[in-house]
Amino acid sequence: MKKWQNLVAVCAMSVSVLAGCSSTSSDAADSNGEAGAADGAKGSVYYLNFKPEQDEAWQNLAKKYTEETGVDVKVVTAASGNYETTLMSEMGKSGAPTLFQVNGPVGLKNWEDYAYNLYDTPVFNQLTSDAYALFVGKDDVAAIAYCIESYGIIVNTTLLDKAGYKVEDIQSFEDLKKVADDITARKDELNFSAFTSAGMDGSSDWRFKAHLANMPIYFEYQEDGITDTDAIKGTYLDNYRDIFDLYITDSTTPGKDLAAKTGDDSRNEFISGEAVFYQNGSWEYNELIKNGLKSEEITMIPVYIGAGDEANQGLTTGTENYWVVNKEASEEDIQATLDFMNWCVTSEEGTTAMADEMGFVIPFKDAKPSENVFVLEDVKLTEEGKTPVSWNFTTMPSEEWKNALGSALTAYAADPTDANWEEVEKAFVENWKTEYDLANN
Amino acid sequence: MQRTYKKYGWMFVLPTLIAFTIGFIIPFIEGLYLSFCQFTTVGNAVFNGFSNYIAAFTDASFLRSAGFTVLVAAVNVILINVLAFALALALTQKLKGTNFFRTVFFMPNLIGGIVLGYIWQILINCVLALVGQPLLKLNATAGYWGIIILMCWQQIGYMMIIYIAGLQNVPDDLVEAAKIDGATDWQILWKIKIPMMMPSITICVFLTLTNSFKLFDQNLALTNGDPNHMTDMLALNIYQTFYARAGKAWKGIGQAKAVIFSIVVVLISFWQLKTTRSKEVQQ
Amino acid sequence: MKDKKKLTRMLLVGLLIILACAWIYPIVMILINSLKLESAISTNTTFDMVNGETYAGLENYSKAFSSFGFMQSLGYSLFITVTSVAAIIILCSMCAWYITRVHSKLNSFLYYLFVFSMVVPFQMVMFTLSQTADMLKLNNPFNLWIIYLGFGAGLAVFMFAGFVKSIPLEIEEAALIDGCTPLQTFFKVVVPILKPTMVSVAILQAMWVWNDYLLPTLVLDITKYKTIPMLIQYFRGSYGQVEMGPMMASIMLTIIPVVIVYIFGQKHIIKGVAAGAVKG
Repeated sequence: MKKWQNLVAVCAMSVSVLAGCSSTSSDAADSNGEAGAADGAKGSVYYLNFKPEQDEAWQNLAKKYTEETGVDVKVVTAASGNYETTLMSEMGKSGAPTLFQVNGPVGLKNWEDYAYNLYDTPVFNQLTSDAYALFVGKDDVAAIAYCIESYGIIVNTTLLDKAGYKVEDIQSFEDLKKVADDITARKDELNFSAFTSAGMDGSSDWRFKAHLANMPIYFEYQEDGITDTDAIKGTYLDNYRDIFDLYITDSTTPGKDLAAKTGDDSRNEFISGEAVFYQNGSWEYNELIKNGLKSEEITMIPVYIGAGDEANQGLTTGTENYWVVNKEASEEDIQATLDFMNWCVTSEEGTTAMADEMGFVIPFKDAKPSENVFVLEDVKLTEEGKTPVSWNFTTMPSEEWKNALGSALTAYAADPTDANWEEVEKAFVENWKTEYDLANN
Repeated sequence: MQRTYKKYGWMFVLPTLIAFTIGFIIPFIEGLYLSFCQFTTVGNAVFNGFSNYIAAFTDASFLRSAGFTVLVAAVNVILINVLAFALALALTQKLKGTNFFRTVFFMPNLIGGIVLGYIWQILINCVLALVGQPLLKLNATAGYWGIIILMCWQQIGYMMIIYIAGLQNVPDDLVEAAKIDGATDWQILWKIKIPMMMPSITICVFLTLTNSFKLFDQNLALTNGDPNHMTDMLALNIYQTFYARAGKAWKGIGQAKAVIFSIVVVLISFWQLKTTRSKEVQQ
Repeated sequence: MKDKKKLTRMLLVGLLIILACAWIYPIVMILINSLKLESAISTNTTFDMVNGETYAGLENYSKAFSSFGFMQSLGYSLFITVTSVAAIIILCSMCAWYITRVHSKLNSFLYYLFVFSMVVPFQMVMFTLSQTADMLKLNNPFNLWIIYLGFGAGLAVFMFAGFVKSIPLEIEEAALIDGCTPLQTFFKVVVPILKPTMVSVAILQAMWVWNDYLLPTLVLDITKYKTIPMLIQYFRGSYGQVEMGPMMASIMLTIIPVVIVYIFGQKHIIKGVAAGAVKG
């Protein structure tokens, strides 16, 4: 009896131990089998997606593609702010992403060694312009943009009407300042302010340290005929100050409280009709509509800063979303990935999903028109012959540069003195060179 | 008996030992070796001597995070232990609702560090907004105290439980005898209770110290090092060196930092255990 | 004299009540905000009560439930915790018992190795462990217990060994003389005595595994599996916007099961923690 019990105990034990081993080995066999099958025929796709808000749409699109072609597509989304760390840890694993994204030339530098040359691939040939590709040499394309976004000043036209103005009245920085100052002067009577709070919290400060800072950089690049620099001069920093002053003085919130305001605060102010103007981009559209604003009552105007040819200035349009194919992946997987990308931007399902569900404007020939009024506004302005302002903040030397600029801006917003503005200038000009050297040496 | 047991030894030790080898021994030895290499995966390591260690020691962010960690740990150990001890004293006075209080104070321990970090981020940001101060993202001082408040909130309950157990082990007759001899409550606390509780104090100081040094989840969720890496603690700094910096050099440097970090934590732990234990013996 | 004592006791209780409120408040605050409309949640209204205008019903909860596979993650988290803790308490108690009972150089070396592993920070092995796990295909919830067993063994063996030392040898000797094999002796004689320690170890390890963030993030195949602590992060969008409502709802959803378990098992949990510490 005792012996029998002993035997059972030992068996139970060894089963529990072996269970681990056996499931391990069968798993290994499984994936080997899969890999074996894949080697012969299809390959598979693993896309590490950057935008959490589009996760569901990508998952659905991947499912459709698998149904249609039988090719396995995995989409994984990194949590916000964790893209680089997730990418880094995934790249070290056996099933590394075959498709991932970088935010522009500066981001690409970290991943150039992994970038498959996309030149002359079908998806590259679908691009409407070579400007949407990142070349690292002649005939060598490391990354291609897959969505185009616009930003500017979002306007609540209903409120603007109430204040006695029309969108057409604003054609330059001077106009904008006049309208904003007038609204601010009559703030108590009108019950709303000109601008939403320019919050300097991390959820909102990128609107000023990156997106707004793009304006002086753009006009300087234009003037000097360059697209990139190792040392910025800061020619248009006075204009940068003018527009930022407008944001913080004609605002719902006094400047010293801005460090305590978030992106959500700013959006909620706009949604609840506390302010007419709100600097943000086309990606905000769904959020605004979902919360009760009507598409007829919102539009977007260019960020005028009183520089360049304002009569012909369009919205600020560009991208910081580039696809890169991992060249370390197996040949079949690379092929499968290229096929998938091409399908996304050419097929009915793909283009529809990218336009409607994700709200993207894609820079490819078969793109579907979007319902997004901000995007439509951009198209309209471009058709009227206005020149879109390009996104140059992708050439900013580093994240550290943006952070330092953000800190200086926050200090200036709290106490807008000349001394504090000098700190902003320092963070803009001197730190550019410092950070550029650090990043490139 | 020893001999009978030995025959079956493999059965008892092997399962744990295999897992321990996979989960700790191999990664540990590999990690030690890799700290002398340049690598991006385990497969492509190239030996490069001590250069990782030199780079780690000259990395200003690493030294700053070490300083920050020491500041957090020091204040944490004192605050948590003093408050937990005080609470334990209060809760052994046979007051009404003792059980309820104990339950409440212990509860935060069950919630994970990431969730705790988010809860306190929301709460602290709201307080900061109401008093018109910069939010956590831009406010290193608030980040520092935020980490400390969070840790106190989480760990006081745990240490309190250990102290209560310790206090209950103090023999009543000893306290009674002292009272008859005319000792004040204060004297009883210092002359009888605290010496008798040295084992509990040892374990609590040990736990708070190592927890503070190894703190990661709460740091990641509450401040994520903002502003500008000023609130990075060591564990987060190492994690970022590994996974947030691109370039071939960084993984080796990260591993070297991890080795230094491990040595520091192990030394502190054993030194601390030794000194407090030796005090126990003296009593 | 008596009155004065009564007064101080009342003051003490009053103080404790205030403290207890401070301890509960953060969670109540999340609960209140999780019931608000998305547009009503902002930094400086966090402390406001929810009212008719801002009440969102359970909308945030249904959103939290439906997004990012919440139920699935809950299942994985539960599965990983149960398997890991079961493996740890059974296998580590066996191991600890053996290396304390049988005296040899190897065994005492093993013991110190376990104690050493308890102190070493996870960052030391995080990279190599994730690579090893990837290579050995331990990167799924079904095999993850092996990693947790290996990495959790230090504390568990340490605690079990501390307790085994206090068990008198005579009982086991008697069992052996009765003809029991060591395995029978262990399960029939030692395990019943070890039960309280097992509860302590189980509680400590369950708290660790359930809430662990970094290990599953690095080790698990994230293309397929997410645990609850990993999931919480997904309510933040790429332009800094946070879906605060669903995020707070999901925080509540992760806290509620734990609190329920705690309320029912608090006696064991608190006793377990206290016992574990004293043994250590």
